Amino acid sequence: MISLECDNLFGTWREQARWLLSHQVDPSQVSWGEAQAADLFATDEPILAGLGPFQARIPKALLELLESAACYHGDQRWSLLYEVLWRVSHGDRTAMLAGDKLGSELQRRIKQVSREAHHLHAFVRFVALPPEAGPELPEYVAWHEPAHDILKSASQHFIGRMGRHRWMIATPLDGVYYDGQQLIHQRHCPEAWQQLAQNVEDPHSAMWLTYYSHIFNPARLNPKVMEGHLPSRFWKNLPEGKLIPSLISEARTGKQKDGQAKMIGSKPGKRIASGQG
Amino acid sequence: MQLIEKLSILADAAKYDASCASSGAPKRSSEGKAGLGSTDGMGICHSYTPDGRCVSLLKVLLTNFCLYDCQYCVNRRSSDVPRARFSPEEVVTLTLDFYRRNCVSGLFLSSGIIRSADYTMEQLVRVAKLLREEHDFRGYIHLKTIPEADPALIAEAGRYADRLSVNIELPTDASLQTLAPEKQIGSIKQAMQTIYTGEQTVLNEPRAPRFAPAGQSTQMIVGADDTDDSTILHGAEALYGNFKLRRVYYSAFSPIPNSPKSVPLAAPPLMREHRLYQADFLLRSYGFSAGELFEGPGHLALDIDPKLAWALEHREVFPLDLNRAEPTLIARIPGIGLRTTQRLVDLRRERKIRFEDLARMRCVLAKAKPFFITSDYHPQQADSTSVLLREQLRDRPQPQQMGLWG
Repeated sequence: MISLECDNLFGTWREQARWLLSHQVDPSQVSWGEAQAADLFATDEPILAGLGPFQARIPKALLELLESAACYHGDQRWSLLYEVLWRVSHGDRTAMLAGDKLGSELQRRIKQVSREAHHLHAFVRFVALPPEAGPELPEYVAWHEPAHDILKSASQHFIGRMGRHRWMIATPLDGVYYDGQQLIHQRHCPEAWQQLAQNVEDPHSAMWLTYYSHIFNPARLNPKVMEGHLPSRFWKNLPEGKLIPSLISEARTGKQKDGQAKMIGSKPGKRIASGQG
Repeated sequence: MQLIEKLSILADAAKYDASCASSGAPKRSSEGKAGLGSTDGMGICHSYTPDGRCVSLLKVLLTNFCLYDCQYCVNRRSSDVPRARFSPEEVVTLTLDFYRRNCVSGLFLSSGIIRSADYTMEQLVRVAKLLREEHDFRGYIHLKTIPEADPALIAEAGRYADRLSVNIELPTDASLQTLAPEKQIGSIKQAMQTIYTGEQTVLNEPRAPRFAPAGQSTQMIVGADDTDDSTILHGAEALYGNFKLRRVYYSAFSPIPNSPKSVPLAAPPLMREHRLYQADFLLRSYGFSAGELFEGPGHLALDIDPKLAWALEHREVFPLDLNRAEPTLIARIPGIGLRTTQRLVDLRRERKIRFEDLARMRCVLAKAKPFFITSDYHPQQADSTSVLLREQLRDRPQPQQMGLWG
């Protein structure tokens, strides 16, 4: 049994897998663990330098699938990829297709990862630091808790979106900072970044909260659909998250008669005479 | 009036428009540039409200003052609602603020008709122009088009906006005359034609200025009159064909405060709207025609989806052998979508498809089971009558929770 550790880096895993494959090491003979666990079960045999005789041919698309699935946090994160690689390189391409047992799991992970990248694009909320913070600090900061390793690649999206602005996204694991010219990724998010993102004050959030409350149509209340699209794990980091329970209960007790928010109905109305502009 | 109060009134007034798409725009980026915003064709839903709807754009009216008296509309002139009006600069400020926060991907701006159609349209265009030219805003802009406005103004709107939409409002001319007497079907279709012509003019002209690159859409209110689903979907099919609309949105009539007697007091079942969207999707992406979905006048079934309904009426097509059938036919199997179809085609290139493969794909197996064959499976239900199958497969309504106050 060979026990490996790749520091959760795809590049490292890829080199290890290449070596294993060239020496025809069967997937049942190898496992990847977390750093500490790997030490306990480390193999006695030193890993031979140099590649073995087996030359694997794999479709180019497979590498992209593996790299994407590698971002998935879950059991057998790396050994599953090696099993797929093993089967495909031995001529069984079904291992990368949905329908096959292993292929379905691979595709499911890829789907989850791309969903999580999309969640980053959608649910990150930037808060402006006060202008006197100075040019050494980002202008906008966000705290986000992704379920998979998507920050580094998915945060590129904000370069196009935010123009020359400086921004930072901190997470419990890693962090990115765009200084107006380049994107800096820290695998271990500096504590200072985390504190900045978690403690920032937002004195101007009322506009967005007002908008959110008023664009909601209580006559069409459907919390189940909402939770399907906006999983509740994100609520705590969204400013509008804390409005959700009360909007739901107000709609329920208001018996959903019509779509208008209560507060609008209590204001004086104005009929317009025909022909007036 | 404070900006925040205007926002509350003018967002509340805009919520009845169902469209919130931010997709279909060309690739734009602000990397290394002054200004803000990007688009890449994919829409982003930045939030969801408890009605299950996505928040993708800042959707507001420029004003809810309105000269028209459309019976289904909360903003009709005879409606006793609080009124407000944004200045174009205020809308710009809100759009940029929400955009920087990453709360929205752009703006969807509509308006009540004030002074004249041209004046109203000019104001809408002015907001888009300010965003694009003064603030180098490259995010998504959707402008509602006032049908009676000068075609030159519509053409100008097309240069700034990613998407334009003209609401058809009601499915038939007769209903429009009864419920929205100031609106004319003729000018609505004329405006759609103006947009369509604008799109066609720049097609295949890479150096021409862009014209509404995300195309046009429309909205139809369902359940404010007694038009049936067959008429609605035949109408939608004609709009897709004649003006190359990207989307027709169906908005279940939402009861409004102080409702006039000409419109119903209650909303149609939301399931009706859902079935219309499902059928619409069959028209746009599955190659169905409206004529196939309806034998004659009438509504879509509420208890089964339209693809299942079609399959039950066309048992001679089924069961289909997944190892041999044409992909377009596989996609007609109830419970099997386009994605699963593609996956089946990929898999069958490598080996025979077996029953358990389906179980691992994202399809609704219970619905699909009577309609396909694999190398190791032949449906027992192939000989069941459609009546019996329908009884087995139909959605059963969830028991309804009674309102707390009866």
